[in-house]
Amino acid sequence: MPNQSGNVYGLTILSPIIDGADGNVSHDCAIRDYLADLPRDHRSPFAKVSSTHLARLVVMDDVVFVGTPAREEHLQSKYLVFETNFDGDLDTYLTRMAREAPDEVHAVWRHCVGYPGVQDPAAFAGYMKQCQIETTFFFADVNNQTVQQTLRALKVQSGLAHFIEANQGKSAGDTQAAFRRFLEKIRRAPEPLAGEYEGHPHGAAAGLEDAGKLDPLASDYEGHPHG
Amino acid sequence: MTNINGKTYAMNAITPMNAFYTPILKLVFFILGHVKSLQADLIHLSFIHFARWVVVKRRQFPRLSQKQPEEQLHYDYLLFFSNFNGTWNQYIDAFADVLSNGLNLIWRWSAKYPGARPVTDFKRYIALVQFDTDYYYAAYPRATANDVKAAHRVNAAVEEFARNSKDMTPAEFGAAYLKFVTLVQMDLGSTGIGPVGS
Repeated sequence: MPNQSGNVYGLTILSPIIDGADGNVSHDCAIRDYLADLPRDHRSPFAKVSSTHLARLVVMDDVVFVGTPAREEHLQSKYLVFETNFDGDLDTYLTRMAREAPDEVHAVWRHCVGYPGVQDPAAFAGYMKQCQIETTFFFADVNNQTVQQTLRALKVQSGLAHFIEANQGKSAGDTQAAFRRFLEKIRRAPEPLAGEYEGHPHGAAAGLEDAGKLDPLASDYEGHPHG
Repeated sequence: MTNINGKTYAMNAITPMNAFYTPILKLVFFILGHVKSLQADLIHLSFIHFARWVVVKRRQFPRLSQKQPEEQLHYDYLLFFSNFNGTWNQYIDAFADVLSNGLNLIWRWSAKYPGARPVTDFKRYIALVQFDTDYYYAAYPRATANDVKAAHRVNAAVEEFARNSKDMTPAEFGAAYLKFVTLVQMDLGSTGIGPVGS
């Protein structure tokens, strides 16, 4: 199925935006205003729908005129483009959006034609499917690992680099004992947060200069110079 | 810029296409999807997390109410969405250098497509048909596509080493640990913020 690559689903949705005004602003501007302030880190609605790898929302104002001799033409409606890459099946994902991020979903899609609300997740899923355009060709570089597996692997990778650095020059016995503690620490570590800038809660908005210093796995290895 | 989150850039592009060409392009994608060796260059570029092409036929734009005016379009449209690492210029340069034949096969059906080379004309065309992203979310914003693949290799190696070294004596562990570190050392680059791109 062209919408899917391995375990990853590539959903493309075009939701027609209501023509006219929502109070003092047009509906498309209202969507843009709302999205401009929506958090992009672990507080994002897509972090709540935690099977999301990458997602975007775009107000498509019109098609593009590429110049003569091509014909100039225009859309009758503006469309909200929702492009997302997630683990699992479509119904589960759309239902999770309605259940786990209802406020944000409502704030965006209430400006779209035919939007039924999120009170009935099945109705919302049905509406979204009406707006779905089948992906013609979908490429996923890694298509056999979930978001959580990837976040965890990234944590282990950075933790191992610190572990090796911290244990250079130690005896085999000491390294073995430290490695056992390292494994235990990995296994007991809490699930990493999706969208997080590694311990820097406001990374997406801030400068991120110190983000790496707050990595919880990296901070407390025995013998680590910064531990 | 909203097109960027961490180390990943969200590109959107739309090009008009004579409806006559749509079946040909769909056939191209069908072959590309079923002959995996044709995707080798795309895989080897290794800075694209996810990418997709979506053909929207001129009568396929969703219409959910009789009040919504019907679209009156002459062209079908090819939408392209990419999630890549690096700057816009790096991406277009690499695409044009490595995948020019593939790009031409996909976009030659779009109106006024100049070809992937020379890259100056190609960049001018992409800049014309690109539109900006209003909101972009990434679950692992500090990791590139290569970081992700390296992390999974490290994770698998740690699990395997943990299993194999469980009952080793300290001397055996010392020798095995050196081999393990040698095995994973190329995959231990840390993730972090990317350079400022444009």
